[in-house]
This record gives sequence, C-alpha cells and structure tokens, in this order.
Amino acid sequence: MQLQTGNFITSVITEKPALSSAYDTPLNAYDEAFMSDRQPRKHWEPMLRGMSNLTNEEMLDRQRRAQRILREDGATYNLNSDPLTPSVWSLDLIPNIIPTDEWLAIEQGLAQRSTLFDLILKDLYGPQELLRNGIIPSEIIFSHPGFLRQCHGVTVPGAHQLLLHAVDLVRDSSGQFQVIGDRTQAPSGAGYALENRTVVSRVIPNSFRDSQVRRLASFFQSFKNMLSTLTCEWTDTPRIVMLTPGAFSSTYFEQAYLSNYLGFPLVQGSDLTVRNGAVWMKSLNGLARVDVILRRVEDSYCDQAELKVDSFLGVPGLLEVVRAGNVVLANPLGSGILEAPALVKFLPAISEFLMGEQLTLPSVASWWCGDKADLAYVISNISNLIIKPASRQHNSSSIYGHTLTAEQKHSAIEKIKKQPHLYVAQSYIPGSMTPVWLDGKMQARPSLLRAFTVANSKDYTVMPGGLSRAGESDKEAIVSNITHSKSKDTWILAAEPEQPTKNNSEQILLQDEALQANLPSRVVENLFWMGRYAERAEIGMRLLRTVFKQMNGVDPLPEESKRTLLEMASIQTGCLPGFTDADEELFAHPEDELTSIITDASRAGSIKANLQAMLSCSEQAKEMLSADTRIIINELRDHIHELDRAYTNGLPSAPEESLDSLVTSLLALSGLNHESMLRGLDWTFQEIGRRTERALQTATLLRSALTKPLPDVPQQQILESVLLSVEALISFRRRYRNRARVAYGLDLLMIDGTNPRSLLYQVEQLRRYIKELPRNKTTTAGLSPENKIIIKSLNDIQLADLEELAAIDEATQSRPALEQLMTELLEQLEQFTVLISDKYFDHTAGPQPLMKAIGENNL
Amino acid sequence: MRYRVRHITEYTYGAPVSLCYNMAHLLPRDTRNQRCINQKIQINPPPVYQNEGEDYFGNQTFYFSIQEAHKKLVIDVSTDFEIVPIDAYKEQILPAMTCGELRGLLSVPNTPELRMAKEYLLDSPQIRSSSELKAYAESTFSDEKPILEAALNFTHKIFTEFKFDPNTTTVATPLEDVLEQRSGVCQDFAHLAIGCLRSVGLPARYMSGYLETLPPPGQEKLVGVDASHAWFAVFIPELGWIEFDPTNDLMPSDQHIVTAWGRDYSDVTPLQGVIFEGGGSQQLAVSVDVKRI
Repeated sequence: MQLQTGNFITSVITEKPALSSAYDTPLNAYDEAFMSDRQPRKHWEPMLRGMSNLTNEEMLDRQRRAQRILREDGATYNLNSDPLTPSVWSLDLIPNIIPTDEWLAIEQGLAQRSTLFDLILKDLYGPQELLRNGIIPSEIIFSHPGFLRQCHGVTVPGAHQLLLHAVDLVRDSSGQFQVIGDRTQAPSGAGYALENRTVVSRVIPNSFRDSQVRRLASFFQSFKNMLSTLTCEWTDTPRIVMLTPGAFSSTYFEQAYLSNYLGFPLVQGSDLTVRNGAVWMKSLNGLARVDVILRRVEDSYCDQAELKVDSFLGVPGLLEVVRAGNVVLANPLGSGILEAPALVKFLPAISEFLMGEQLTLPSVASWWCGDKADLAYVISNISNLIIKPASRQHNSSSIYGHTLTAEQKHSAIEKIKKQPHLYVAQSYIPGSMTPVWLDGKMQARPSLLRAFTVANSKDYTVMPGGLSRAGESDKEAIVSNITHSKSKDTWILAAEPEQPTKNNSEQILLQDEALQANLPSRVVENLFWMGRYAERAEIGMRLLRTVFKQMNGVDPLPEESKRTLLEMASIQTGCLPGFTDADEELFAHPEDELTSIITDASRAGSIKANLQAMLSCSEQAKEMLSADTRIIINELRDHIHELDRAYTNGLPSAPEESLDSLVTSLLALSGLNHESMLRGLDWTFQEIGRRTERALQTATLLRSALTKPLPDVPQQQILESVLLSVEALISFRRRYRNRARVAYGLDLLMIDGTNPRSLLYQVEQLRRYIKELPRNKTTTAGLSPENKIIIKSLNDIQLADLEELAAIDEATQSRPALEQLMTELLEQLEQFTVLISDKYFDHTAGPQPLMKAIGENNL
Repeated sequence: MRYRVRHITEYTYGAPVSLCYNMAHLLPRDTRNQRCINQKIQINPPPVYQNEGEDYFGNQTFYFSIQEAHKKLVIDVSTDFEIVPIDAYKEQILPAMTCGELRGLLSVPNTPELRMAKEYLLDSPQIRSSSELKAYAESTFSDEKPILEAALNFTHKIFTEFKFDPNTTTVATPLEDVLEQRSGVCQDFAHLAIGCLRSVGLPARYMSGYLETLPPPGQEKLVGVDASHAWFAVFIPELGWIEFDPTNDLMPSDQHIVTAWGRDYSDVTPLQGVIFEGGGSQQLAVSVDVKRI
C-alpha cells in the first residue's frame, strides 16, 4: 500500500495494494494523478476510488473486454501485407483526466493557435509579408518541400484556410502544457479518440457516469457542419467524401470508422476522376459529382498531374479543380508547410506581427540552426536537446541528444554544420507521468496529448477531449511512435452534467440511402470478390474434407476412386498440375501435396490463398462490414491460425477437423449476409459474386468428377463423394434409395431448382439479381449482354437431357455431352463475370507521366 | 524589334490515350523589355477544359485536359512580341557591387528584396549546390570581383570550356556529370551556371524562352529550325536580375524571347502532365520558328 514514501493510498484506496505498489513517479516529473506529496489530485479521486473497488481479476477482465471490443470493431493499425495478423489498437483502461478550469485555458490557447496558423497559411500562399519583413527567415519556407508553389493564390471559400488542426502537447515539470508539434495536412487521431471513448465508456460505465465527462459528439457535429458549409455557390447539398490512402495506410481503421460515423463515403484516389473541370466519384450509377474532399492523403501525393507524378494515391488534375474553385479540400493543399518545426521558434514574433497578441499556450523552446547564435547554442547544449530535420519526412527521425555517445554527438554536429538551415532543436520535455494499467498493476508512464480543432464560421471549435498516449516502457520518455505506446481516453470534466441532446449520440450515424446507392464502385467490387473468394474457399474445403473422409474410411478405397478424388482436389483448387500429372509415387504418398493445397498461401488457388484474398477484400471494404461480420472475420482469422498450427508438421491425423471450423465460419458469414444485410447494391453484388462462383465451382466439380466413366463401385463412390461434398448425399439417398446413377446425381446437382447448391438455382438467382442492377435498361439492341448470357445458361441447363449427359461414349471412354455442356457453362459464366466487372467496376490503369522535352529539342 | 514565334509540340502515342491533364508553360510573360502583343494557342484534339493562369513566379500558365481518345496531340502556340534592346552598357557603369559585398548582404538580409532573393540561393528540385560546383566557380567569383564582370567572365568560361553536344545529356542528367564530361545543351549550361552561382553564395534563376537564329549568309532561313532556349540570370541589388547566355557567350539583349523563369527547369517545364491508357511508346516532336515581323 505504499507509493515510495506516501501513505495517501490508505485514505483513498483501502483494499487494493496491487493498484499502487509499483507506482513510481520520477522526481521532478509532473504526475497527472498525484501531487508531489503522493496525495491524489482532487479531480482524480472518483476515478481512483472506482478502481480501488475492483479486484485485480476484475480489472484484467475489463482490460480483456476492451481489447475484445477493439478487435471486433476492427480497430487496427499498420495492417501490413499479412491480413491474418493485424495489430489491434492498444488502449489503456485508465483515462487521462483534465479538470474544467485547466481545460478552459488550454481550449482558448488551442483556438488562438489555430487562428494564428490560419493567418500564417494565408500569408505564405499570398502576400508573404512574413517573409518580406523578415519575421520568418525566408529560407525556412523556401527550402521546405512542403511549401507547394503550385498552390500559391489558391483559396478556400469562407473565413478560414486552415480547417483542421491537431496539436501535440506535453506538460513540463511544472505542469504547464507546451506544444511540441502540429499536424496540419490530414491530421489523424480524432477517430481513435472517438473509438477510445466508445470502448472506455462501455467497459467502465460507472466511473464514466460519475465523472461528468464532456461529450465528443458536439465536436464531430461542428466538424460535419464545417465541411457541409464549405460550398454554397453551386449546391445546397454538397457531396462530401473522405479520401484515404487505402487499406494499407497505418490509420486505415480510423478512416473507415470516421467515414462511417460522419456518413461520408470512403474513397481512394482511383475512385475519383476529374472530368469537365470537376471531381467525380465512380459509382455504380455512373459518375457522381463531389463537392468537398476530406483528405487523409498528404499534400504532394494528391495530384499526379501537377505534384508527385509517381504517386499512387492521388487524383490527377485535382489541384486545377481546386484552383478553379470547383471542389474544396480539407485541409487545403500546401497546408503541410505549417508543420515545419523551424516555425515554432518564430511563433511569438509571428503572433505579434499578424495578430498583435501573445500566445497563451506556449510552444516548447526551439532553436533554428540557420541562425548563427542558435547554432552555437545547439552545439554546446546538444545533450539536452532533440534535433529534428527542418522538414518532417517519412524517413527522417529525431535525434535525442541525451542518448548520444561523444562520437555520435560529434558526427551529428558536423552534419548540422554542413546545412544548418535544415535543422531545428527543441528542448527535451519528458512529459507528465500518468497512471497506466500494465502487468496487473498501476504504473506511471510518460504521456502526450493530441488535441484537435476545426474551423467554425468565425473561430475554431476545440474537441473537448483528445487522444492521449502513454509509453509502454518507462525508459523512452517521448511517446512519438504509435506502435510503442498505449492510447488513452481523455476526460475533460464538465462543471455540470451535460444533457445528451438529439445530435449528441456517440453511436455511428445511420447511413442514408442515397449514400448506399453512391458507393464507390471499388468498394462494391471488393464485396463482389469477397463473395467469390469465400465461396471458392468453401467448396475447396468441402471437397478436401470429403477426400480425407473417403481415404481414411474403414474400407480401403479402390485405387481408381482414390486417383479420381485426388485429381478432383487439384482441379477444383486450380493448384495444378498437382495430382493431374502425378506418378505412382505421388499417388502412394499424397500427403505433402494435400498439405500444400491447403496451407501454401503462395500457391494461387490453395485454401489459404483464397481465405487470405477474401480477408484482404473484406479489409478493403471494411467500412461496409457490420459488427457481427467483423466478429466472424476475426474468428476466421483465429481458425486459420489453428489450421496452420495443425498442419505445421504436414497432414495431421484427422486433417478434416481443422477444416470444419473454417467451413462453419464461412457458412456463418453467408448466413449473416442473408439475415442481416439490407438488400442494397452492396448486398446484390456480393450475392452475384457468390452465386457465380458457386455455379463455376459446381460445373467444375461435375466435369472433373463425372466425365470419366468408372466401374460400378468407384463410380458410386465418386458420385457419393460429390454429393457428400455439397451436402446432398442424404437427400439423394432419400430420393433414389441406393440407385446411384449418374443421371440421378445430375438431376439433384444440376436441374433441381429446390436445391440451393444446384446449378439451376445459382443461375436463376443471378437472373433475378441482374434485373435489379442500375443501368440495365433494354436498348434497341435488346437485352443487355449480361442478361443474354445468363438466359442462355439458364436454357442450356433446363433443356439438358440428363440421360444423354450421362451416356458413355465407349470409344473415347468419356461422357462427351456432359463435358461439353459443363465446358460451355464455364465459359459463359466466366464471360458473365467479365461483362459485369467491365460494366460496373472501374479498371482504368493508373496515369503515366507525359514525356518531357529532351536535350535535342533545345539549343 | 518585333518577332513572331510559332512553337508546335506534337505527341504521338503508340496506342490511343483516353484522357490527359496538362499544365503548360508555353505562353510568354511580359518582362522589363519585352511585351506580348498577340497570342494564340490551338490544341488538337480540342480540350474539354482549359484555363489560363499565373503561377507563383508570375509566369503565364495554360492548363488543359482532353477527354476524347487520341493518338496524336498537337499544341500550336503562336505569339507576337515587341522587344526593346537592353542597354547593357548602362548597367555596367553603375557602381559595381562585388561578390563579397552581396554575400555579406545576403547573410543578414535587411530589405524585402534581399530576403525574397534567397529563394534562388537554395537548392531546387533539379539543382543542388555542391563542393564540385563551388570549386569550379570559386576563383571567378572571389570576394573582390564585381558581380557583373565575374558573371560575364563565367559565361565566357562555360562557353569556352564546354562543348555543345545534344547527344550527351537528357533532361535528367545530373550537374556533376555535365561538369565531368564538359558537354551538354543550353539547359545543362544554364543549370550548371545556376548551380555554380548558388554554390558560391549568389542567387541565380533559370530563364526559359527562344532565340532568334540567323541563317548562314546568302542562305534562306528554314522554317522550324529554331529552338527553345535556356539561359540564366543573376540577382544584383539595385540592378535586379541580369541575364547571361553561356551557350552563346553573351548578355541577352533583343534576340532572346522570354517565356518563363523559375528556380530551374522543373518550375517552367513547357508541358507537364499525365496521360491515361495508351501512351506506350510516346514520341515527341517540337518545332520552333522565330521570325521578324
């Protein structure tokens, strides 16, 4: 029950020694929760008391619950190329708490800072008085790659140029907040703050309720208002989209989450196109005009025509549309210049020059090495400073002077001396300590707060909260890297309880129907493929399960049956040549090849490759997935890991078992689609994907299994295997007793419209779905090509003579009619998918740069 | 002197291009001794969107995009100018500022002019200062030398020590290579001179335009043999930006027509942009014709 010297805990937390015993704030550091005499600060008392009422087990339980909610929400970051093991956002249960009065001052300081940054932005891309008058040494701006000369003179309608602003704050040892950095292009973190709030208020509802915490919803309402009032000239109902760098962006979850919360479609650069001087979204209904773009793509990546030509993330021609005033970007392009760390030192003078005011929220002490006196100071005090490059780049990192050896210091100084104007130094503030629940106990960790503002009609609105982060270890004090820190909810206490209003809901806003119809076609394409891969994986696994069951049956399998089954496995998965070109040796020891067909993700068509492809598609369409779907997807990930474990040393003894749970998850997924998804276009396309794929797979299966005539016993075994793999064996036996004729099998698998796995059923469903698609009007040329092809397939199936299909041609030892029909159906279905994707999905290749005049053309 | 410049740029693509977005720096700007009297730009196929504007450096821009499939893009610009000669002599009789004095002023800039000139002292996308460039230029621009005189000498130095050879460089050849091989085209010489000046602490900018060429005596001038041209300018307080042409060893007077200026070629690329689909084997043909009217 002791915290170093104090005994305060006895008065506050009477029964819980574990909570505090390890709590150790370094001397001189400011502690968020405790005063220097180790007494808790007043505004922390309710929280600490609440925690003291929980046992260790209860805390752990809540922590686990929080992580589970995060995982189910898909709260990830840094999704690398492996869709199986996303890193789940790390959240600490204990919020960071800031009292009412203190926040009031911070809030004012933040709004003032945003106002100042807005004025700086206007000046730098306009009259440049700050440079002319020497308030900012001009080389800071002129040498900064974030100063985009192409954006000179481009303005946003309305009072402000800077629309969104994020500010990183730390407390110094006296408890004073100081700004250590600004994010002004596409600030991230507000969505994580919202997610943290949602989770924490669910996991520790009592503490949340008792603490009179200010709500975040009003901030997001201002956010939305700001974006929707940016355009008034040409439309009253602007279409707002959120531009994302894509699923591999480290903060993709947040983008998907925010886009859902705010109700804006999440688009990638390739979902947008510039035509006739405006920006349009490629939707299933054709092109839809876009008026406002909330961007998460950095400045120079936004337009290949005028900015970075090799960007994969931009919309070629975008800047010119902005220039012409036909679309608004938040934040405007070029705003990255405000992130220049060298500006920090000059802010007081800039503020005096532009506003005649002093900044109430100080910035961390900074030196710009381009100044001779500053350079001299930096060289002699490097041990106490952080050295930063004057322009923040992806590959640049800060140097912490106190961690350097004498030799490293020397070489750092030499580097700075070469191009001093490219370096900035900041004094090192370790940040305040804050309690974190770690390894079953409360521990002190250094912390950092990111605050957010948005422009309103005359001023800036500050989020009453923020994203707090705390170090995972107590060693490195500055918590700059998300991957090595825990995030925290930030509670700003209200003077009196806030009444939740109608707009105050922190639940995800319902998507309106217009939005549904205006999905970017890329999202729908991913759903289409998600359906296809799911079906492909499922049928593959079903067949493999059957193969295992038959091979491990009580009676030994006749050689011919075994070979046919193994060949079918290769053909069905497309892992060729596999068993289709196998020697005796391989047939005698098929285990390794079977293992590979299941678990080798690098083999196109393998079970794992299909599952991974399906997961990738689901990630790309993340914002469309329901909460239940995400739970199943997570289960699926777990099952794939189990599969890997089971197959580590080759084929396990009961190889079908680990496939069972995967099949069940896939079934749950398709069941969920049917039971909980609105019948919008997203659903229709996913279903078209599934039905087409099932038809393709079934036709493939029938062709590979039944074309080759076999003696009676193997023939029956193969037929039964096919029926077993599509779950039709019981129906078959009930209907035909033990008369296992191929024609009867075809009856059930091809033309029985009541069997949801028959070919006819799939094609009939497809016929229904395509009638509901947009742009499907009959023209003078008659029905659309995709309609025609489906009707043809439907007729081919219905008009087929089953006895004729089952007839054996003795000369070729085959069933030629069956083979021909299945081949035709496969071709027609493949063509159908091509027609659908050509018509509804966008396949424009990326832009390529125009060739530039070379030497010969010059004098 | 009045000139008419016709500049035809023609792109031919191996496969049809469905869409393109282009930013052109092909329309001329007015300068202290040059005035544009008439200009016409024709693009085929006709753009669905086009817009004239002014860039950061005050150059005229022309933006256009084409949305119909095309295998050939032609941009035909015709401009009439009036140019009055610059009295270079007058500039030379003014009290001569030395290189050392200017470097001193720039290290603690005390006028808006000097502060803004720093933009042309720093590295730019295609020109980086280096010790090699500095070594090449250092003695020419030593502290006691008057800048104007030094720049003229340096222009002459490049002219005599470098060989004009269109086959040794491309738009992407680094300056160090140009210096090493002692050959290149006008653009390389302009970039080289700018890089050298910046490396010795003097502000310099890139000039892009045309030069009237005269046929050998007794021969008739052929159409389309002229070319776009590049040279450089040095900033000298009170005089402003003074131009030098190292390819021809002279100070431009009334035969150099300016289209645009910037930190280097990348700021004033005649035509930049992207194309969709097609392209494949792009071919570019440029024809320039400068004649007196």
